[in-house]
Amino acid sequence: MLNELLHMPLFWAMLTIAAFTVGQYVYRLLGNTAFLPPILTGIILVSVVLEVTGISFDTYMEGGQYLHLMLGPVVVMLAVPLYQFIHVMKKEWLRISLAITLGSGTTVAVAVAMAHFWIGNDPITITMSTKSVTTPVAVTVSEQLGGVGALASAFVIITGVFGALMIPPLLKSVKLDDPKAMGLTLGVCAHAIGTSRAIELGNQQAAYSAMAMTLTATLHAVLLPLVM
Amino acid sequence: MTGLLILLLFLVAGNLLQSQLDSPVPGSIIGMLLLLVFLIIRGRAPESLSQISKTLSPLLPLFIIPVSVGIVTQKELLAENGVALLVIMAVSIIPGAIVCAAVMKAGRKRDAE
Repeated sequence: MLNELLHMPLFWAMLTIAAFTVGQYVYRLLGNTAFLPPILTGIILVSVVLEVTGISFDTYMEGGQYLHLMLGPVVVMLAVPLYQFIHVMKKEWLRISLAITLGSGTTVAVAVAMAHFWIGNDPITITMSTKSVTTPVAVTVSEQLGGVGALASAFVIITGVFGALMIPPLLKSVKLDDPKAMGLTLGVCAHAIGTSRAIELGNQQAAYSAMAMTLTATLHAVLLPLVM
Repeated sequence: MTGLLILLLFLVAGNLLQSQLDSPVPGSIIGMLLLLVFLIIRGRAPESLSQISKTLSPLLPLFIIPVSVGIVTQKELLAENGVALLVIMAVSIIPGAIVCAAVMKAGRKRDAE
């Protein structure tokens, strides 16, 4: 009977939702800490269940695909916040565009160069290029480029956790920590996880972080396939 | 439901364009840009679209879990390069963050003068 259950696609869809729900609960329990986003808990829980039961990823995906299917519409949906930010940006569009382009370009260039010379494995290098893009976009772009979707997701989430941890003290130590710069940097370098950190810092930080994250994702989604 | 229909319409259009043009930019991104242009021309977001956006946004991480779980198929690669990857991710944030914040602040100083 257990075997039957473990080969039922709907069971895995259900388990994924359950794992995410547990992740949300743990996140709230720990006072919304940026260091354990619900998605990370969800991924770990599902991976552990797969390891323990010995079920292959392909079997899991027969159920997981129902949720995965929603990634497309969700990426299209990013146009809505992007459209709202266009109004905010009007006054300082040049400064914001430069900060986002140069900042995200620098972090990606450093990461790609380090991966290329240190590890020298092309799929890893390619996948590394999408590390500063919000996950749904990173997965989509990475697979298109010949990277590995699952790795892209891992890189993005880990980068987000590191960024949320490192950026506030880093910018404070070099005295670049005014609210707009802080928010923008969190969004550019640590996307959604940085934005959840920015929400804790204040309204202006949160708005700038969400805007930076969406703009970075769009910029990279269009540029990376042309450059890489 | 209209909101979801709009999203799917633009997604299908994006995918179609992508395959027709043989574009390296993913179909969902093309769909997103098309929707953005539509919103700019229209002048405001339809209520149904804002509604679906509010409904789906909190669920976004859930939709990413399945593909992310694929990490279980990359165990050898992680065992071999895990530490290097963590160092690369931590180190590469520093120059990017400083450049980004510095540009943002430099621009503002000029404005104030």
